[in-house]
Amino acid sequence: MIYAIMYGLTVGAVLYLISVGFSLTFGTMRVINFAHTITYTLGAYLLIASIRSLGVPFFWGGAVGVVVAALAGYCIERFVIRRLYGESLDYTFIATYAVFLIGVDIVKWLWGVFPKPVSDPLGKTVDILGFVFPTYRLLVILLAIVVFFGLELFMRKTMVGKIIVAALDNREGVRCLGIGVEKYFSLAFVLGSALAALGGVLYAPITAVHPYMGSHILLLCFAVVLTGGLGNLRGTFLASFALGMLISITGRYWPAGSEIVAFIAMAAVLLARPIEA
Amino acid sequence: MLQVAGIDVAYGHAKVLHDVSLDLEEGKMLFVVGRNGAGKTTLLRTIMGLLRPLKGSIYFDGGDITGLPPEQLYHRGIRYVTQDKKVFGSLTVRENIEIAAYSSGEPLSQALDKVLEIYPKMKDFLNLKAGQLSGGQRQILLIGQAMVGNPRLLLVDEPTQGLAAIVINEIARILKHLKGRLSAVVVEQNLPLVSQLADRVVALKEGKVTQVLDDASEICNTSLLEKAL
Amino acid sequence: MGNVVKERGLVLEKTFVAVGKQLTQAGVGQKVLELILIGVVFLILVPFLGAHRATDFAIFCIIVLSFDLLYGYMGRLSFGHLLYVGVGAYTVGLALRYLTTNPLLAIVLGIVAACLAGMAVGAITVRIAGAAFALANLAFNRVGWFLVMSPLKDITGGENGLSIRNLSFWYVNFRNPTFRFWFVLASLLLVFLLLRVFTSSSYGVLLRSIKEDEKRVRFLGYNTQFYKWVTFVLAATVAGFGGALTALNYGYVNPNTLDVHANAGIVFACLLGGSGRLYGALLGGIIYMLITNLLPVYFQRWEFFLGVALLLIVFRFRGGIWGGLEALYSGLAARAKSGSSKEGMSR
Repeated sequence: MIYAIMYGLTVGAVLYLISVGFSLTFGTMRVINFAHTITYTLGAYLLIASIRSLGVPFFWGGAVGVVVAALAGYCIERFVIRRLYGESLDYTFIATYAVFLIGVDIVKWLWGVFPKPVSDPLGKTVDILGFVFPTYRLLVILLAIVVFFGLELFMRKTMVGKIIVAALDNREGVRCLGIGVEKYFSLAFVLGSALAALGGVLYAPITAVHPYMGSHILLLCFAVVLTGGLGNLRGTFLASFALGMLISITGRYWPAGSEIVAFIAMAAVLLARPIEA
Repeated sequence: MLQVAGIDVAYGHAKVLHDVSLDLEEGKMLFVVGRNGAGKTTLLRTIMGLLRPLKGSIYFDGGDITGLPPEQLYHRGIRYVTQDKKVFGSLTVRENIEIAAYSSGEPLSQALDKVLEIYPKMKDFLNLKAGQLSGGQRQILLIGQAMVGNPRLLLVDEPTQGLAAIVINEIARILKHLKGRLSAVVVEQNLPLVSQLADRVVALKEGKVTQVLDDASEICNTSLLEKAL
Repeated sequence: MGNVVKERGLVLEKTFVAVGKQLTQAGVGQKVLELILIGVVFLILVPFLGAHRATDFAIFCIIVLSFDLLYGYMGRLSFGHLLYVGVGAYTVGLALRYLTTNPLLAIVLGIVAACLAGMAVGAITVRIAGAAFALANLAFNRVGWFLVMSPLKDITGGENGLSIRNLSFWYVNFRNPTFRFWFVLASLLLVFLLLRVFTSSSYGVLLRSIKEDEKRVRFLGYNTQFYKWVTFVLAATVAGFGGALTALNYGYVNPNTLDVHANAGIVFACLLGGSGRLYGALLGGIIYMLITNLLPVYFQRWEFFLGVALLLIVFRFRGGIWGGLEALYSGLAARAKSGSSKEGMSR
């Protein structure tokens, strides 16, 4: 049971990192960025590629993954999403889905279809109260918590953060105060992409890496964001860990259920709190 | 200072405003009256650049501002106080004002003074989340926020809607205080308030201007206003 | 509460009256002509593709038509429409294995099952505004796919799928490709006629108004949630019919029928042909199938191609082929007009 909780926390940590960006774009612009999945996948693949072919250590491989994926995120925002502002959100969804398809195919083309394993970079375990945990997983959980507090600080103390929070409340209100939200939105977007890539990097040693790994995670993020409340960063944090736990504990008693329990939770939330225009 | 010249506005295929014109002089208050769905909010949103007219032009200070985005209009001195009292609920009252101060380049202390000048009680709420304010306080915060920087034209949408009589008096006091200092277009259904403050009343019906009242004696006569609806 | 029920009853009643009128009075000749035309197009396809593939094309067109009702007419983009195709297909497969030997009964069961699935999922998803609707449906599609793949694999055959043994019954013989072709073609024409009549009735006007501005329709006193739900269920039901036919055409069902990522293909086909126009859906369905049948022979990177094509449509050709043809036609008409009256110089 303790191990199930531990696993749930790890999944929750990764879910949180990926959901932040999704929540920010969904919360501010109501844009659903399906290409978010590819940023995440790219993070994981770039990590593996740089470890394998450049022989760099895990840390630098991860850094490469995050930086390149953030750059890719910037390009997606600049050349696809920004060009569709003010139009039907369905077009943005279709366009980002198209980017996802292109990205998946590029990943397949560069690195092949077959899942690639990467090993735990630390390989050590710690002993807490007689339970043995891999240090790496503890580190992942810790990192998610650090990111959470960092973001809280950023959103509350900096002007940029305050404007993003204001735009989450009322985007039009921010525009009517003479502030072009696009600039802040694209900043939030790049930040979200970098965090998603970080999630991909950190999750790579724990899960199977394959070109479609992002699309399932994106649906889980969607469930997280709906459960936590649109654009509510604290809600996203809590919902990530709650769903991570739910998945892990369900998996312990009913393995097949772990794949669908998050969506059952999502359906329940939608029934209670539909997203109306 | 503000001229709306024959604008048509539509959402999709549904036309909401038909050939609407109005004219506002410096320092005057123009009130727009009309039933729900007459297109009053649409008119304000179009002036603020949130909607683009299909036809016609809007002039401000002698320049054509048709189709300019709200971000630019703010810096020309147009302020929009929306319906529904939408403050930034997750931010504190102080931060709500701070954002406006940041945008207009005014020091925060000066911006705070402007808000406290129209409503000194706000001092007690500065560190409260704006979402926790009452409806009337939120409305006042929005008007105060609009005072930051150099406002020249105020667009206000239904400032007294859903508020208690005592709060309406407070808002009427604030609007009276602002009268003469800047120009304003106010959408309002509370006719006694309209007759107190208006220099000109424009009645909208089904997207068309049906009547313009200029004469003070006409405006004071609420039953005449009632008829204009 | 009573009022709402009455109001629902009223519009439905009006719709039925209008549908009745449409079928009995005006434009019957035109509709018959349209149906014959579509039939002829598919007959022309047969010698080039063979009956089996032409059947496949027609089934895909049924699915795209059902999607177009939801997206093109009502403006609600779903990336989970294949769930109902899958439900229809698996119900047919399972019914013929465990319940009955009559394929026609199995088709009816498949349609009913898809309708029920649409009712359940629609009740949750139609209340979602914006692009989140697309993703929520995709999530349910994925749940369905997972159920078939893993927890229910003892009866669905999991990854290996399910083969159907009882394909012939009485005069109905789905082993015969010619029979299959005629049966599916008749089904396509039936679906087309049904949607043609529905979309040109007052119900269709309501759908397009919801697409344009749902809020205004709500202000007019309509319960838009209810109509969105009805349309969702109708689209799911027709898609289930398409799924049932898919199962019988192949004599085999596998999880690919409800593959989450294949939804992009339907969306693409609909946009390519021109959304919000039934002819666009037909055209898109046929051209999409031609591309998928021919392109992989020359070109390996299918997803890359699909992605680029989708981007092109979103940024450049929103009206699709049918929209382009319409624009071309009205352009030519305007030119012809201006040529005769010498007006229109200003444009």
